[in-house]
Amino acid sequence: MKFLLSCNLLALLALSALAAETPSPTPQATPAMETHPSGAPKEQLATELKGGSVLRVNSTNQSYDFFRPWSKKAPFNRRGLGAVIDGGEVLVTAELVWDSNFIELEKPETGERSSAKVAVIDYETNLALLKPTSQDFLKDLQPLDTDTQVRVGDHLSVVQLEANGTPVSTEALLTSAEVGHYVLDDYSYLLFKMSCPLQYRDNSFTLPIVQSRHLISMLLRYDPRSQTIEAISTPVIQHFLKEAEHQPYQGFPSFGLSFSPTRDPQFRHYEKLSDSEGGIYVDDVEPNAPAAQADIQTGDILLSIAGKAIDPDGDYDDELYGRLSITHLITTLSYSGQKVPVTLLRHGERKEVDVSLFNRPPQDYAIDPYMIGRPPRYLILGGLVFEELSRQYLREWGPAWQKEAPQRFVYFDHYQADLFPKPRKIVFLSQILPNNDTIGYPQLNYMAVERVNGQPIYRLEDLAKAIEKPINGFHKIEFDLDPKVIYLDAAQVEQNAAQLQKTYSLPGLRRF
Amino acid sequence: MIRSTLFAIASLVATSAIADIPKVDVHKSIVRITTTAQEPDYRVPWNPGSISTGIGAGFVIDGNRILTNAHVVSNGRFMSVQRENDPRQYSGQVKFIAHDCDLAIVTISDPNFFKTMQPLHLGPLPTIQSGVDVYGYPIGGERLSVTQGIVSRIDFESYSHSGADSHLAVQIDAAINPGNSGGPVLQNGKVVGIAFQGYSGDVAQNVGFMIPTPVIQRFLADIASGHYNRYVDLSVTYENLTNASARRALGLPDDDTGVLVGSVESDACAAGKLQPGDVLLSIDGHRIISDQTVELDGENVDLAEIVERKLKGDKVKIGLLRNHQPMEIEIELEPNNSYLIQANVFDEYPRFVMFGGLVFQPLSKNLLEAFQTDDLRVRYFYNNFVNDEIYKDHPQVIILSNILPDPVNAYLAGFRYQIVDEINGHKIRTLADVANAFDQTSDFYTVKFIGANRPAVLQRTAVQEAKERIKENYGVRLERNLGEETLR
Repeated sequence: MKFLLSCNLLALLALSALAAETPSPTPQATPAMETHPSGAPKEQLATELKGGSVLRVNSTNQSYDFFRPWSKKAPFNRRGLGAVIDGGEVLVTAELVWDSNFIELEKPETGERSSAKVAVIDYETNLALLKPTSQDFLKDLQPLDTDTQVRVGDHLSVVQLEANGTPVSTEALLTSAEVGHYVLDDYSYLLFKMSCPLQYRDNSFTLPIVQSRHLISMLLRYDPRSQTIEAISTPVIQHFLKEAEHQPYQGFPSFGLSFSPTRDPQFRHYEKLSDSEGGIYVDDVEPNAPAAQADIQTGDILLSIAGKAIDPDGDYDDELYGRLSITHLITTLSYSGQKVPVTLLRHGERKEVDVSLFNRPPQDYAIDPYMIGRPPRYLILGGLVFEELSRQYLREWGPAWQKEAPQRFVYFDHYQADLFPKPRKIVFLSQILPNNDTIGYPQLNYMAVERVNGQPIYRLEDLAKAIEKPINGFHKIEFDLDPKVIYLDAAQVEQNAAQLQKTYSLPGLRRF
Repeated sequence: MIRSTLFAIASLVATSAIADIPKVDVHKSIVRITTTAQEPDYRVPWNPGSISTGIGAGFVIDGNRILTNAHVVSNGRFMSVQRENDPRQYSGQVKFIAHDCDLAIVTISDPNFFKTMQPLHLGPLPTIQSGVDVYGYPIGGERLSVTQGIVSRIDFESYSHSGADSHLAVQIDAAINPGNSGGPVLQNGKVVGIAFQGYSGDVAQNVGFMIPTPVIQRFLADIASGHYNRYVDLSVTYENLTNASARRALGLPDDDTGVLVGSVESDACAAGKLQPGDVLLSIDGHRIISDQTVELDGENVDLAEIVERKLKGDKVKIGLLRNHQPMEIEIELEPNNSYLIQANVFDEYPRFVMFGGLVFQPLSKNLLEAFQTDDLRVRYFYNNFVNDEIYKDHPQVIILSNILPDPVNAYLAGFRYQIVDEINGHKIRTLADVANAFDQTSDFYTVKFIGANRPAVLQRTAVQEAKERIKENYGVRLERNLGEETLR
């Protein structure tokens, strides 16, 4: 006897396919420091931070609702600490203030407040600079230095504030530095890992990590069970601050390629690679990205970047942190606008190319890898809600979006470089607001639009243009999935538009 | 003997003319079937599989045949059949099996078996709210059990045995439990269905399903050819034409007639005959109503029911509008193959090729359930095999499903669950292509996967050196099964 059980097949996203992960450098012993009884909080008053190098930052954020792109979700508060740095600015993590409506800085000792604006924000490295709106707000405060380097094994201090505003610091041991995931998928930079027994306190969404009066790091994540911190590393903060000195802010560069290790001896024989050299195999090159523009091709073996030899796993020897993924060398030690020399092997021949670095903004992708601080674009026609696909939309399914979101779209996103090599967007039907124009149609959603009135649709503007020319008075909308075609009466849609807008209280029927 | 002959005659004369049918003695028709099945493990495809025993019911029909569910006898290695009030056990053989509609015919070689048995006869589709009796061996009991229920609903239902087929089914409010399967459901002394599936207790209670006689009769007609040909299908998708704008855009009158063709599967029987955008108006003379139904015997049923009742090679006449021009076309019906990727497979050993510790298998429901992989591309190929016509380039989607770790493949773990595109430059469309590619002599074997440009490389000398070692270590009984070795 069989039982009927609903069994929905779920597809999960396999994140990094073949790219080798960097092995973490092993923490070194630290004989210089005295040892503490394990588990006991190593807290002390941070007298060296008195005088206000650290501020409370309260941000009221409100993100767009990608399911109802015409409105925003409920506002919420995030409270963290910011580090005062040179130039009258306050460094925080981007996540603290993204999609913010209102930011307030508060001096911990006096309680004095000022509203603030975001001066520079980099979602990819999760860093932002705030500027207070009252000009003299930071005048009597002592900025932290930002030019020190630390090494694995160093002792650092995580700064928190008591309720009365007194800074307290908790000792943290820098246990490893490796390239790892920050807050947005697909964006990885050098990550500091520390062990530290941290207490819960208010305003802890993000915390500065210092060494005496030097700002070293910003807390990203804390795991109370293992008492470990993952934090934004010094080189990333320094790169960000340097880049932020010039407008327009250009962002962290990338090569735009994926690679495979060449450790396998059978593969090396086949490719006729000598055993003495390292090198990585170029698996895929993103169209229009720096590597592609420098004519780096699939199948090339990259031997060195910026004079640093690459081993078969894709690591190089970093002066400060030992074996690190070349990702660090490209994204953080190099800057947008620079040319980086690359040595490669193509069909057994050595070649030198210069890669001109730049940051590929999210809008440049067929499916925006993130969409923060920008409203989603949409167009509503006869109750049919059209949007452009972005990963931000897919993330509306929650932390398990790779499993929960429409699998066809997750697949489109994951393989977008292969599937959509030419510049375009994916316009899709996100839902139908039932009305007299759509009566008789089923509830349809998550279908990509291929053509409207015979015109191919590569972005919402194409859709807006196509609906100006109905065919014999009807809009013909073609999708990639069943039902492949939907018709709307153009005159009737226009006639009912005001009523539709009123019924569903829509602020507008389109936003580009 | 005499009585049973009389019965056969009576039913021949009567069919539906005689209203008052004599009460049948079900004890002389029903059998208890014990099947010892061996279910292959797709993770270890060279192993014969785990052995389990299941109990179900069946009943005798004309021609000394026993009718039961396919799932009662699937993957069977040995079957014993018992009669009521008879201590003897008889060995049974599967004569025909239809996994798409969960029906099977079992025969008994001992000629004495049928001597005292009375065949049951098929009745009509029962009406809603009428009462039925369900016979069987629920929860494995030794003695026949009977329960009564009311016909609650008649509709298309998913048949869970294959997991990919839907046919007409009758929902009754009698509890159907394991062991009821294959048992007859009687009304007025005639079989109106075969109990076959229910819900598990946490979904719904006292809901059971039976296979109604139109499905049984179609199965019996299909096997009359001596071979089961499976259901035929137009393999097109069509949509309601109930939206007024859509009707006017297509130039259709406001008469609730017609459905719109969305897609036509390019490797199936309607390819080249129907086109996307066609408006189907009639099927075999029945007007097609705009919500995808036709009127049949005074009731509105899914228009698929017209094709459902047909056999391989039968024709169907379709009236349609193409570019506003009325046309009539005839289609010779064939079974569809591409949907089978999502259907459970029974009665065959898993197909695979093992080379250098790499195990290649065609993507199937069984494979996915065994490996539970979350690989996005594998899931996508599985779910969109038909819609995106993946079958055109990949009639079989070949997956590197497993790697038996050995020095020869030490660096290849990252390729697991990738889909094979080429081996040594040859496009891979089927598992046989994989076997052929590895049979060619070459210093290097390069396996390229879809979406990955870096190939997996195996050196022939290394593979040869590893061959016996891997077979020995992992107990690999045979290195490939391309499907020549079947069970029945």
